[in-house]
Amino acid sequence: MTKKRSLRILFWIILTGSLIAVGAIYYIFNMPRRDLANEKAAYQLEAKQLISEFKSDENSSTTKYLDKAISVRGEIKSIRTLENHVVVFSLEDAMEGVSCTVDSAESVRYAVQLEKFRIGSTAKFKGRCSGMLMDVQLINCVPE
Amino acid sequence: MIAMIGMVISTLKAQNVYFTKDAKINFNSSTPLEDITAETNQGTTFIDISKNEVKFSVLTTSFKFRRALMEEHFNENYMESSKNKDFAKAKFSGVITTPVDWKNEKKTNVEIKGDFTMHGVTKQITVQAQITPGKSAITASAEFHIVPQEYNISIPAAVKDKIAKEVVIKVDANYSPFQH
Repeated sequence: MTKKRSLRILFWIILTGSLIAVGAIYYIFNMPRRDLANEKAAYQLEAKQLISEFKSDENSSTTKYLDKAISVRGEIKSIRTLENHVVVFSLEDAMEGVSCTVDSAESVRYAVQLEKFRIGSTAKFKGRCSGMLMDVQLINCVPE
Repeated sequence: MIAMIGMVISTLKAQNVYFTKDAKINFNSSTPLEDITAETNQGTTFIDISKNEVKFSVLTTSFKFRRALMEEHFNENYMESSKNKDFAKAKFSGVITTPVDWKNEKKTNVEIKGDFTMHGVTKQITVQAQITPGKSAITASAEFHIVPQEYNISIPAAVKDKIAKEVVIKVDANYSPFQH
């Protein structure tokens, strides 16, 4: 009787344990992408400041900002629409400024807000910093 | 007068340079066990038609994978993107060795030889490309293969069979005249 009972308990423990494990593996494997809209910015600064930090020391700026959610504000100097409604806004300088890429899903979700942005207007974007090429790049951006 | 000559020369130079910041790059390291592809449209590239020079760079964290987990593994375990500025990008700098008639708007198969840098390691590679000069634009596409091990990227035994030994990289770029 007691043996049977302990076996039953053991069975339930193993079953619950394996269900949790399978669930965890499934979750990690299909982990959702970071949604910048729900993420608090680790740094909040002017686009000009971000550019000057990267230009003065690219190495330490890369380590400091890479993959972090950053919120930047600056004047729009160019707007480029790529395929699948991906839109790239360049802040402060069309060539060597901060480029903020808004992906297809977000460009649809924030269409009303984005349509108001013109060259010359001041905009604020929150995005994930991927480093610097000619400009400092922020990806997965959302307007703020 | 000298300043004027300088200005003329610099405008001449600028006319020879084409660029884009929206080049499309994708790579494929799929095996029958796992479908692994990634894409970005944030490649920055220049062509100087007077010297037949090509320059290319891309930030590794801008690549998008099918799964967020793959992106994390790619950047944290394999590319080690946040280590320093050189690990955060992949670069190519080369010369088109096949003669190209830049005035002729005809698709030309060319070979580009140069240095490819990734994960802090530089290797000389040869890339097969197709270039189509135009009146105010140049389109180009290229494909090449690299072996991750040669760039000091070690793939753990547990996932070794899931990742291809050779990675196929494809590039598509539409260049415009560079004005600065």
